[in-house]
Amino acid sequence: MPRRLAPLQILGLACFVLLLAVPYALPLLGAKFWVNIVAEIMIWSLFAASVNLLFGYTGLLSFGQALYFGFGAYGVALGVDILGLSFWPAVLFGVFVAGACAAITGIFAARLTWHYFAIITVVFSLIFFFVAVGWKSVTGGDDGRPFTVPPVLKVGGVEFTLLDPTFQYYFIMTVVGACFYLMHVILKSPLGYTFIAVRENASRLGLIGYSPYLIRYISFVIAGIFAGVAGVLFALFARYVSAQYLFWTVSGEGVIWALIGGSGTLFGPVLGATFLIVVREELSIYWEHYLFAVGVIVILFVAFAPGGLMGLLTRALDWLAKKPAERTAPEIAKPAPRAKGPGGGP
Amino acid sequence: MPELVVILAINGLIWGLIIALIALGLSIIFGLLDIVNVAHGDFFMVGTVLAWTVISYTGNFWLAFLIVPLIGMLLGCAVERLVIKPIENSPALSIVACFGLSLILQETVRATFGATPKRILDPIGITIPLLGLNYQIYRLFAAAVAIAAIVAFFLFLHKTKFGTWMRAVRQDRETAIALGLPSDRIFLVTFGLGTSMAMLGGVVAAPITSVEFRLGLDVLPLCFMAVIIGGMGNLPGTAAAAVLLAFIEGIITSFTEPTTARIISLVIMSVVLLVRPEGIFARRRT
Repeated sequence: MPRRLAPLQILGLACFVLLLAVPYALPLLGAKFWVNIVAEIMIWSLFAASVNLLFGYTGLLSFGQALYFGFGAYGVALGVDILGLSFWPAVLFGVFVAGACAAITGIFAARLTWHYFAIITVVFSLIFFFVAVGWKSVTGGDDGRPFTVPPVLKVGGVEFTLLDPTFQYYFIMTVVGACFYLMHVILKSPLGYTFIAVRENASRLGLIGYSPYLIRYISFVIAGIFAGVAGVLFALFARYVSAQYLFWTVSGEGVIWALIGGSGTLFGPVLGATFLIVVREELSIYWEHYLFAVGVIVILFVAFAPGGLMGLLTRALDWLAKKPAERTAPEIAKPAPRAKGPGGGP
Repeated sequence: MPELVVILAINGLIWGLIIALIALGLSIIFGLLDIVNVAHGDFFMVGTVLAWTVISYTGNFWLAFLIVPLIGMLLGCAVERLVIKPIENSPALSIVACFGLSLILQETVRATFGATPKRILDPIGITIPLLGLNYQIYRLFAAAVAIAAIVAFFLFLHKTKFGTWMRAVRQDRETAIALGLPSDRIFLVTFGLGTSMAMLGGVVAAPITSVEFRLGLDVLPLCFMAVIIGGMGNLPGTAAAAVLLAFIEGIITSFTEPTTARIISLVIMSVVLLVRPEGIFARRRT
């Protein structure tokens, strides 16, 4: 007998099918332009998911994920342009560079928690931002550096390149999908549960023999690698890199997407990135100062729906699943009680 | 060229005093409300923009010193009630809310003031010869205003009843509330005061820097550096660190590019964060 699917899983499957249909369905609807936007949303979702892995699971608020995003992007761009690598080696090089950067900075950053962690991640990303701005000959500084993306693979004389929007879409979808699956596996493994444990109570975890530092470090490096993959994809997608992608406001956007979507859930960041990028694309046509609206949306969500879009969605689905007689007004989720000071208390 | 080093060191010192004023606002907000206010730099920026507005409407720069801090107080109180109070219980969410606030402030300025940087003319317009260069008297005046404001702030904190309340809440929030201090009002005034200090800093700095909506993004990291190197919650330490940092950066700038100087001070800051997270001026715990 097949297992009954929860309403949320049915919704997820439906979204997956819709995503598969995008490159064919949207041009039919006369919205070819949106194929690329959906692809971009998937990339930024992965970026937001890396913020969420740290904040939603390990309890570390990073304002510096743009550093690893930027390292991934520069890794692939410079790998192609300066080292003359072909497609796959350049991609691996980009991911490796981002991971190595996270592994080195993580040694220091994972020692800190809370405000101190948030600030040191900003500081690290600012250092490399200024290096990238100053080192114009290699990085292109603020103006950026365009590059030509080599073909992905050749099968019997047929070249697959990212210049074909449909192929590019499926390429991005496959990589992002694989990353989300990997993240799901990690979060459901014993390692993933120790992430949550270190968020909930680091000292108790220490007392039963785990090293909270090591767990934070592992989580930091994994999140850095995922952010790096997002950066690699973005550089390939935009065929361009710029120092601007290392700036802390990019990290801030990732944090906003993760929190608006619902931190601590696997697909919350996807919802958040989708919602805010669609708002951006639709609103910016009519109103140049749409960021004002984004600011208001962020504040309203933080104040009234700390569970984010995912929290609202779960509540709505639960409510629909109940028999009409049992339906009551949904409870408003109360924010968790304040954790006192760095470290999270005893 | 030793003259240039001296001039840049003096400029650094003056800039450091202005940063100290802004960073003190950031520090009391952090110390009392437990909020990492990433919109603080944007309040500074709003201060410079309002100074520009006051000049262009009244033609009188000095009026800005009176009006802008008052607007800052009101704006800060309004923000505390509308944005900060609903999320009092979650420090992480408050960072995100402040990020939203920063977007709102920047876009409001971009929509009304415009995106192109503008300059305010030297309001005194007199220079004095200093080591063979003509040095603006306004810069010395700016330093004097910043020092006066910092002194006034510490006097308020130590000599008035409300200041004592504020220090009590910072030291032990639960006990202070249990003893019946009006925590609600204290939080309101603290946020207003912090905002007012950032905006006063904006007025003082307006004729020295250019006025534009992105200004806050540059100033914010400097303020955070001062707060951290001075020790979170250590107010005299914060002021000293701000002056020291800008002074050192000024000297480094005379040897190399400003970007390199900024990188060096960021590296210093990360070392301090890692080695002495309680700040360089804190007494060693026994």
